[in-house]
Order: sequence, then C-alpha cells, then structure tokens
Amino acid sequence: MNKNDVMIETVDLQKYFKDLHVLKGINTQVRRSEVVAIMGPSGSGKSTFLRCLNRMEEPTSGHIYVEGIDIMAPYIDINKVRTEIGMVFQSFNLFPHLNSIENIKLAPMHVRKISDKEATERGMQLLEKVGLSDKALAYPEQLSGGQQQRVAIARALAMQPQIMFFDEPTSALDPEMIGEVLDVMRTMAKEGMTMIVVSHEMGFIREAADRILFMADGLIVEEGTPEEIFKNAQHARTLDFLSKIL
Amino acid sequence: MTQETEQMRTPSRLADVKAKVGHIPLVRRNQFLFSYLAFLVLYGAVLLPPKGTPSPVELVVVALYLVLALAWVAIVLTDELKPDKLKTGIVIGLFVLIGWLYYQYSTARWSEMTFLFFNREIIEKAWPYLIRGFWTTLLLAIAAAVISTILGLLLAVFRSFNNPVLNFFIVLYVDVFRAIPIIVLMMVIYYAFPFMNIRLNAITSGIIALGLNSSAYVSEIFRAGFLSIKKGQIEAAHALGLNPIQTMRLVILPQAFRVVIPPLVGNYVASAKDTALASSISIIELLKAALAQKALLANPSPLIFVTVLYIVMFVPLTRYSGYLERKMQSSKRQINV
Repeated sequence: MNKNDVMIETVDLQKYFKDLHVLKGINTQVRRSEVVAIMGPSGSGKSTFLRCLNRMEEPTSGHIYVEGIDIMAPYIDINKVRTEIGMVFQSFNLFPHLNSIENIKLAPMHVRKISDKEATERGMQLLEKVGLSDKALAYPEQLSGGQQQRVAIARALAMQPQIMFFDEPTSALDPEMIGEVLDVMRTMAKEGMTMIVVSHEMGFIREAADRILFMADGLIVEEGTPEEIFKNAQHARTLDFLSKIL
Repeated sequence: MTQETEQMRTPSRLADVKAKVGHIPLVRRNQFLFSYLAFLVLYGAVLLPPKGTPSPVELVVVALYLVLALAWVAIVLTDELKPDKLKTGIVIGLFVLIGWLYYQYSTARWSEMTFLFFNREIIEKAWPYLIRGFWTTLLLAIAAAVISTILGLLLAVFRSFNNPVLNFFIVLYVDVFRAIPIIVLMMVIYYAFPFMNIRLNAITSGIIALGLNSSAYVSEIFRAGFLSIKKGQIEAAHALGLNPIQTMRLVILPQAFRVVIPPLVGNYVASAKDTALASSISIIELLKAALAQKALLANPSPLIFVTVLYIVMFVPLTRYSGYLERKMQSSKRQINV
C-alpha cells in the first residue's frame, strides 16, 4: 500500500433535503494517513458532507470512491463499508444499556465475529489508550461528557477502521473536557490514522491537520494547509469566517 | 474565617438546629405521645359504651374519643422527624379505629349484610365452580397475553421499517382491531366462522379474539417504545456496521423494553378483565361462574369472593412490573467502578 494512495474520493457529490440544495457538487480527495479538517459557517453543509461519505445520509447524486470502489453502486453492502469507517458523533451516542467495555466489544463480536475474550482484551487495550481503563464497567450515565466521548472513540477504533470520521466531536463538551478528547485525537493523528474532522478547534487543526477544507453554501470554497488558510486566505467567505472566530 | 464559611456552607439539619437550641416543644416528646396513647387505650376500655345504638350522652363520649384520637394522629403526622413508615402505619390504624367505631355504634344491620354478601357457607358451596372459572380466566388471560405480545411486537418491528405499503396494512389492522367490540369479534369467530368451515372451540375462539384485540394495543405500546429511542443510537449502530436486524436486537429492543414494561403490564391487566366477555360465547370464566352461582344459590356472596380472586390475580402482576422497572433502573445505575 502506497502511503499516498487515495482513500476517499468524491466526484460531484450533491445532496438535496427536499428543495434545499445542501451540497452543490463536492469534488475532493483524502489520502491515506492524511488528517483533513472541514471548517465553515453553520449551514454550510460540512456535517452533511461527512455523513454522506458513509451514507448515513443518502447523497442525491455523485460518486464516492472508498479505496477505489464506488460505494454508491447498487450492489455495495454499505454495512461492510461502514465497518472500515469509524465515526464519532457530537452527542457521543453510547448505548446507555451497556457499560463501557460492552459498548466497545458489541460491534467486534457481532460484526467481526471475534470471541468475547479477544474482544474484551482488545477493548481493554483501547480503554487504556484513551485513559479510561478504570471505567470499563461504568455505564455511560456515570461518565462525564469527555469520558463518554473517549469511550465512543475507543468503540469506533475497536472495529479497526481504515479511516475515522469526527462530526464536531467537542461541540457538546464543557471547555475543561475538550482537551482530553483532543489529546486522544492528536495521538491517533500521530499514529498515522486517516481522519476527517468537522471541527472549529483552531489549536488542534493548526497542529494536527494536514489540510483544511473550507466550506460555504454547499461548496468547498477554499482548501489548503492550516498555514495557508489561517495566514493567507483568499476567499471572502473564509476571511469573514476566520475574522469572527480568531 | 475559613472555618466560619465552612460551617455556613454545611447544610443544617432541622434536628441539629433543635438539638443545639435545646428547645423541644412538649408535643415532640415521645414520652408525651406514649402517655397520650395509654390514655386513649384506657379511655376506650373504660368509658366507651357497649355495642349498640348509643344514647345522646354516649354519642358525645364516642365523638370526644374520636376527636382525641385524631388529635394524637395529627401530632405524630406533623412531626417531620418521625419516620414515614410509622406515619403510614398510624394512618392505617386510624382507618381501622374509625371502621371499628362505625361497626360498634352505627345501627347498620351487620348480620343481614354478612349473610347476603360474606356468606361462608354459600362460598363453600360455590367454590368448585368458582375455582374452575378462575383457571379458565387465567388460561384466557395468559394465552391472550402471549399471542398479543408476539403479534404486537412483530407489527411494531415491521412498522419501524417505515415501508409505506406495509404501514398502510399495519395501521389498518391496528385501527380496525381497536375499534371492533371484543364481544362481536368473539361471536364472529365462534358462531360465523363455522359457516366458512373454520371450526374452533369456544376457548380457542376467545383466546384468538382477545389476542387480536390486545395485539393492536401492544403494537402501539412497542411503537412508542421504539420512538423513544434517539436517532443517534440507530446512527451509532449503523456506523459500527451493525445490520438492521442486529440494530433492532442489540440496540433498540433492550432499550425499548425498559420503556414499555409499565404500559404493557397495564394492558395485560385490562385485557385480562376483558376475559369476562368470553361468557358471550358460552365460556364459563370466573365472573360468569360467580354470576351463575349467585343466581343458583340466590345469594351475591360469590361475586364478592370473586372480586378478591381478581385482586389476588392482578396485584402480584402490577407489583412484579414495579419490581422489574426498579431492577432495570438499578442495573443501569449500579456502581461497578
């Protein structure tokens, strides 16, 4: 596997919600081990774009190639594709009837069909990695927001995905908990995980992202390295947005 | 300074404050309550008139006794330091006392009433028939509950697929079976179906009618349970690659069951009482048996006795649902960390 091979490519991706044209033709590529941040004002379609990439939202038209395979093709088993794509949500979405370790081993056991013992072992390693090995038996409601999000990341990693999607992973967190989640994400980026992150965490993006896609009104209006975007943005929408949040 | 603020922050319990101030009002002394109680017992034993219609003077004595007892209860109830269990017990005691006073001094014709409504001899005579009716009712209720749960759950699961064609028929089924009177449904199955060469015995007809009716309600209960699960749960399951059946089995159903248990048990109780309608297709269930015995023995005691049987049947069920609810809550909350 070439280090620079394309993991995900979209061609003219469009999405309508009834009459609302949310994505107006997105063309982009994400390479292996690349960390891509998607930024943009609210309503610009960044979350919708991310959710279209694993068909959580059904795109209206266009093509999505994951490792060269068009996942919009009718014969594609989308569940199989999703096992290769880890997803972390804004609202964590842990299963409240299961404790941390059960949350983590559910999918490996039932989708990957690995044994309970092996899944538990791997799950404990992941919990260790996100710094929560002492919370294996705690239920989601006993955990803080930051802890829940870290368990959610461990749950996504348990499927050993090729790529991770983060849909505003820190937006629902109190300020003092954002750091612990970003730390985990930084480690993953350093380990070479391919990541697409919808976020406005400037510090994290500046440090960890290889590329920023700036979206407005359903289009990518500008893209470049964090350096280029933050210091030398060209597009009026980008400048306007950055002036508001910097 | 810091110590003072610390003290200000600790919440003061009423008991602590009172202990510190040292002033305990007279009525708060248990010593007083016990002597008052002893006085009440003594009063009851010595001054209360014998059973029968009291004279005006005796009536005043009884009324005064009741007022004194009420005052004692009021003193205990208004004491916030007394445990709730004690208060509950005392209120029950008060009801017993009022009932006893009424029994003693009202001019009610107790013996006639007992003969008509609580006649042991009559109940003993009716017993074999009543117990047979009891088993019939239990069979109807349990079989209908099993059928309606399976059918209702299936309908709700199919409905959650949001297939417009499927939904049309499910909504039609639910609306129609909720609207049809159960008696009519039973009669159609038992009396009309034989003309279509479908012959079912009375019990089977009754079970099917009750099950069909109840399944319409059960499916709505399960649907509400499914709707109570947040969209994010299903998204998370899909994102992990779980297929729709695994999502239903591993994520939705375990969470939905918690929500549906109370309304589901309520529905079972309601449906179990509908078993009485089975008498319209010649099934002698509990209520019908009691009515028949009442007519035969010219005494309504069996009806009262059957009411007790109904309570014996249903109270454990509702208690069990409460227990399940608590257990599921605590399994969610248990501290294992």
